[in-house]
Amino acid sequence: MVPTEAYVALSGVLFSIGAVGVLTRRSAIMIFLSVELMLNAANLALVAYAYHWAGTGALTGISGQTAVFIILSVAAAEVAIGLGILVAIFRNRASTDVNALAEVRL
Amino acid sequence: MVTFALLAAVSVVGALGVVLLRQPIHAALALVGTLLTLAVFFVTLQAHFLAAIQVIVYAGAIMVLFLFVIMLLNVEEQHAGARPWLRWLAYGVGVLAAAGLIVGALADPRQIPDPALARAALRGGNAGLIAEVLFVDFMLAFQLVGVLLLTAMVGAVALVQRPQPPSAGAISAEAREAGLKERRGRPGSPEVVEAGGR
Repeated sequence: MVPTEAYVALSGVLFSIGAVGVLTRRSAIMIFLSVELMLNAANLALVAYAYHWAGTGALTGISGQTAVFIILSVAAAEVAIGLGILVAIFRNRASTDVNALAEVRL
Repeated sequence: MVTFALLAAVSVVGALGVVLLRQPIHAALALVGTLLTLAVFFVTLQAHFLAAIQVIVYAGAIMVLFLFVIMLLNVEEQHAGARPWLRWLAYGVGVLAAAGLIVGALADPRQIPDPALARAALRGGNAGLIAEVLFVDFMLAFQLVGVLLLTAMVGAVALVQRPQPPSAGAISAEAREAGLKERRGRPGSPEVVEAGGR
């Protein structure tokens, strides 16, 4: 059987790759894709821990899976609103380069 | 274990593709591959309902939305940043973070869960069991997600809506008239007959 640590390590690797994408990509849409990757890495860790602790309590395991379900809905809402903002930005500037948006600051 | 190693390799290659591929379409398709391997991981972890949702909602709906917007905006990634060393610094930080997480996870070995016990407790992670928890213990979160989805829907429509000028109808009628006049001026074109007939 695969130990839980292996799943958690894989989740950490995927999360780090997503973080590197957020740091290095210039176009806002690619930053969004990397954020999706990070969300999925967190989901994998949650499901792995749900399997790990399923034997200890009646609802402990299934609660982890339900949390993944809620994260998925939040991700869907985030994608809808984020891509809407991107389309609005692109309509005004014809570019989604985040460096070109440097004047959007407090 | 062999299955895990193969799937892990595929998912890491897909994730690297998301970060490294130049074309946004290719990066999005690489992410679809990673999401599908994650769905297989969910199946091996007794979360069958989540695996189905992962394929239908994530790899299906959300990634189609991404591809749609990438094609709509015709995004091209420009390179040649002002400070190339920053990119290498980010890669170094990522490698360090990944190594730290791997070491941190493997340095804390736990007992391998009993598969029979986990399978009995999760009951295959079917929709009925998830619904029992979602509608009782997670009721507040469920309601808040409903509000969030409604807000996102209204916000997306409000953001993408084009601002309409008050006399849009008059302008378009004028433009149509001008177009007709221009077409009448060109002899020999089939539109002249059509326009004259009106």
